[in-house]
Amino acid sequence: MNHPALDTLRKHLQDALQQHGDSQPLADDDSLFLSGRLDSFSMMNLILFLETTFQLRFSDLEFDVEKVDSVNAIMALMQAH
Amino acid sequence: MSTAPTPDRLRQLLALEQSERALAWAQTGAGRASLYVLAFAAALPLLSVWASAICVTAAWAATQFSSQRVRILLLASWGFTLFEAARGDNDFAEKIQYVLDQEQFVLLRAEWLAVGALVLLMGLLWLGLQHAIRQPAGLFARRPLVCMLALEAALLVLCAPQLNHGLVRVLLWSLVVVLTPYVWFFPLAIVDLRGREASSPAMQLAVQRPFWSPMYLPFGKGAAYLRRHFSPLAREQAITQVKGVKLLLWANFLLLISQALTWVFSEQLALPRLIDAIDAHLEGHPLPIATGWTVLVYGTFRYALQIAIWAHLFIGLARMAGYRLPRGSWRPLESRSLMEYFNRSHFYFKEILVDLFFIPAFFRAFRQHPRLRMFFATFMAAGAGNALWHFMDDIQLVAVEGFGGALSSFSSYLFYSLVLAVGVGLSQVRATMGYKPATTFAARLYAFFFVWSFVVLLRVFSDGTRDHSFSQRLDFLLSLFGLHLGNFL
Repeated sequence: MNHPALDTLRKHLQDALQQHGDSQPLADDDSLFLSGRLDSFSMMNLILFLETTFQLRFSDLEFDVEKVDSVNAIMALMQAH
Repeated sequence: MSTAPTPDRLRQLLALEQSERALAWAQTGAGRASLYVLAFAAALPLLSVWASAICVTAAWAATQFSSQRVRILLLASWGFTLFEAARGDNDFAEKIQYVLDQEQFVLLRAEWLAVGALVLLMGLLWLGLQHAIRQPAGLFARRPLVCMLALEAALLVLCAPQLNHGLVRVLLWSLVVVLTPYVWFFPLAIVDLRGREASSPAMQLAVQRPFWSPMYLPFGKGAAYLRRHFSPLAREQAITQVKGVKLLLWANFLLLISQALTWVFSEQLALPRLIDAIDAHLEGHPLPIATGWTVLVYGTFRYALQIAIWAHLFIGLARMAGYRLPRGSWRPLESRSLMEYFNRSHFYFKEILVDLFFIPAFFRAFRQHPRLRMFFATFMAAGAGNALWHFMDDIQLVAVEGFGGALSSFSSYLFYSLVLAVGVGLSQVRATMGYKPATTFAARLYAFFFVWSFVVLLRVFSDGTRDHSFSQRLDFLLSLFGLHLGNFL
């Protein structure tokens, strides 16, 4: 899927992975957090990024890591909003 | 022509979990038995014989009898805790004994009070799980940590000698002592119950202080995290168990280094401990400045080593039980920022602080101010959560010194938490702003000295003992720079 939002998202995630010393390629269905490639602080950085860049809104009670665990999951979340 | 083994070649050689032959063997009867024996042998130098036998057998059995996994974990976790409490091998009896002595009970055994309180607590936790399932919108289901802390605080108030005496106070105090570590485990179970794929209440109870993490810190977090790091496939379990044995062996290697350091620095060079160096300074017989620095740097290094040994032991045992968990300590010397140091050195401590403090603060405060929001949430985790966890780790001081006394002796650690929180918070905000540490050798060297100077200097205030006040520790630290606190007052 080609989409400006998707490119922006991929770049953010690839930067985050690089900061963790992870230079492996990132497929759209690769697990980011549950696999341990990124940690919980990176997850919060991602939330901040999604809120500021795409105006998504999260709540701690409904928050589930699986909703943001891969590029595909995040795109599904963005389309649902 | 032979070539000397490089670190990469050595790493390849040791990567048994990537060898199909080794994995196939690990799935045979002989392979499984060998992994059990190796894990038991590797646990022995780190745990008592009983603890090694129970933990390794339970972990091994959980993977061999997968249909009974929850029952085995439940029996092993609570059986091990009760067994250790009855023998006085964990700190429950010791902490109960303080109030038994105060109330002058000589016939009651602290060990049996601990066992009784644990059985009661197990029932209460079960009721708590059922309550959270029945009332998912209730306060307890929505704010489990706040409710657990409120319960702990209420029980502590009731234990005040001004309010209760005698048997009532002893019984209440016993409940406080056994409840305290579960304050950091139980909220994870309640949070998991909110999800669609929540584990069963029996599984939630089974991993409350699981046998591989019989302390105040949930290594492996809760059922949700464990579920996501578990695969029932035989090959995956073989990989995980091989990695578990390797981690236990690595813990033994670090233990050998630790013992060698003790022999050299403590026995041969008679280098004092940090608290002894502070005592000597306060008594007017300070160590030479160079010796003082050596004590501080050596003490910090020993602490980092001990943290790694414990983390590898606990995660190694969890991996033997089939959970492919990330390591608890991972190359901390390579940290390029304070945030990274905290993440690499204290991974599971950081995780629990993130889950219980950072996330709630992050989603509720300063949502319109991204940098302030990130700083505040980090501050709540590395500062408030960190301080609260350590205060509760020594909860017996509330009985011994009173709440005011316990808080007063905690001032040094409070200062440490404050400085650490500011440091980690700023580090996190910089990362949020897109700062990326340079990767040149000079930049890495600078980052190493910056991070570890910070850690070493703060070690004066964070060594965990409560024998010296903040000002006494500050005076000691200034003396290492040839200064005295009196010069500034």
